[in-house]
Amino acid sequence: MRHPTEGVLRRLVDEPAGVSDADRQHVADCPVCLAGLAAVRADAAAVGAALRSDDAVHPDPAAAWQRLSSALPARAATPAPAPARRRGGWLHRPAAAVLASVVVLSGAGVAAANDWLPIFRTEQVAPLEVSTADLVALPDLTAYGDVELTGDDGPHAVPDAATARAESGLDVPEVSALPEGVEGEPTYQVVGELSGVFTFSAAEAAEAAAATGEPLPPVPPGLDGSRVRLTAGPGVAAVWSQASGMPTLVVGRAVAPSASSSGVPFETVRDFLLSLPGLPDDVAAQLRTFTADGSTLPIPVPSDLVETSQSEVDGLPATVLESRDQALAAVVWVDDGVVTLVGGALGADEVLGVAGDLG
Amino acid sequence: MELVRSARPEAVLALPGAAHRGATGRVGGTDGGAVPRAASGPVRADLGEVFRAEYPRVVGVAARVLGSRDSAEDVAQDVFLSFARSSVPAGEARGWLSVAAAHTALNLLRSGRRRASREETAAAADDVVAPDVADAVVTLEERRRVRAALARLPRKQAVALVLRHSGMGYADVAAALDLSPGSVGTTVRRAESALRKELDHHASSD
Repeated sequence: MRHPTEGVLRRLVDEPAGVSDADRQHVADCPVCLAGLAAVRADAAAVGAALRSDDAVHPDPAAAWQRLSSALPARAATPAPAPARRRGGWLHRPAAAVLASVVVLSGAGVAAANDWLPIFRTEQVAPLEVSTADLVALPDLTAYGDVELTGDDGPHAVPDAATARAESGLDVPEVSALPEGVEGEPTYQVVGELSGVFTFSAAEAAEAAAATGEPLPPVPPGLDGSRVRLTAGPGVAAVWSQASGMPTLVVGRAVAPSASSSGVPFETVRDFLLSLPGLPDDVAAQLRTFTADGSTLPIPVPSDLVETSQSEVDGLPATVLESRDQALAAVVWVDDGVVTLVGGALGADEVLGVAGDLG
Repeated sequence: MELVRSARPEAVLALPGAAHRGATGRVGGTDGGAVPRAASGPVRADLGEVFRAEYPRVVGVAARVLGSRDSAEDVAQDVFLSFARSSVPAGEARGWLSVAAAHTALNLLRSGRRRASREETAAAADDVVAPDVADAVVTLEERRRVRAALARLPRKQAVALVLRHSGMGYADVAAALDLSPGSVGTTVRRAESALRKELDHHASSD
């Protein structure tokens, strides 16, 4: 049998399954081909090493998308006064990210297990006005215990409203008349139920407090090891976008979040968390107004970027959020345990108009 | 509130455009990136989806050619801007983007407009202080030579080589370059043989 070509030997180096059995058998039994294979392998390795980049290429897709988006035509004339780069968390993001988070947040609370005492159910949306700096100063809960997330498989696109309904059990709101500048067909996204469990650890809390140089407030009896679970979802969203992929209108609906605790009453956990060092007094005071019967959904809103006001949608109290440059607006309201959001690169009048006409 | 935050709310709706709209891009900058500002025209609807799926791969292909992440990211911008206005079927996007990244990077390499990579800059800085830099210098020199030789290879060989070394399978390389699967090995082998000769030639003449 003739010897296989160098091309076959080359493939044998890194994709042997693509080489025929006959050729493989030949090479295995042929000293000439084995020597050739060794040479081919050595050349491949040497060239591969020379082409490799030592910094192993860790690209930054978020920054790259931002750069790409700014090179593509955009409808919105006025850019939001956004931080230039995503830094570490959503707290630094501009209004649109906050609005998006509201939709998600609003995914919601089902399935409290039997040993969980339902303590929180959203019936009303109340924006919490704090500055970005204050939010950043809030203690990270991971310093005070374990935070475990489940069901966090993120949103996924579905082909149509019917599929979105089937997967979430929620009707996707129908928009009868699109505002000016919003065109085309929406894409649909569904997110399943998300659940987060925080297990309080007195030892970790003491360490965290020591790190701030302040003493840990007395830990209420029974709090150590107690758990609080927040459940959110499912949710659906219809998203209209520009050709560049930038959303112009988002209509989302989700089962409102609920929280439940084991061990001690929710108020005890909440009040203790509020007393932790590092929490600004005024923020703590606002948080205390959130009642255990859960009539409010705290939406953290960076007050330096977003203005909030109260309005009504179909007779229900609603919260309007507007970015200070008026490039973005959203309205959020809760009806019978379901949160709905309408937001986009629109004015407050426009989002209220869409909200009022939802089918 | 922290609990609410712990539910990672931003996961639900990725609004990349909106979240980043205020930032300043470097597109069309003067730093050597071959990124033209996009002309007007329709932008394909699946751009965001394809971008998320393929961006790291595209950067990886360009980095094989250029040896620099910064330059590779410039190339990726260029490639996705072209893709944004193309009507390439979604199923062929990966191959198209990879080939485009290889060509664009090779063009940049040939034109010599590539930025000095951080890697090289850092290595040069190290040369000054490191007592035993001989090995590092040889490696760096080898890389420079191999890239110079890459720019001189027949284009199809160079692209096939880069795609293969970026992890693309033989069948995918064949489809992307309109080669028969059997000839991919031959093409890649020729390229490697030529580059290896280049390395050995310089090594023996030093």
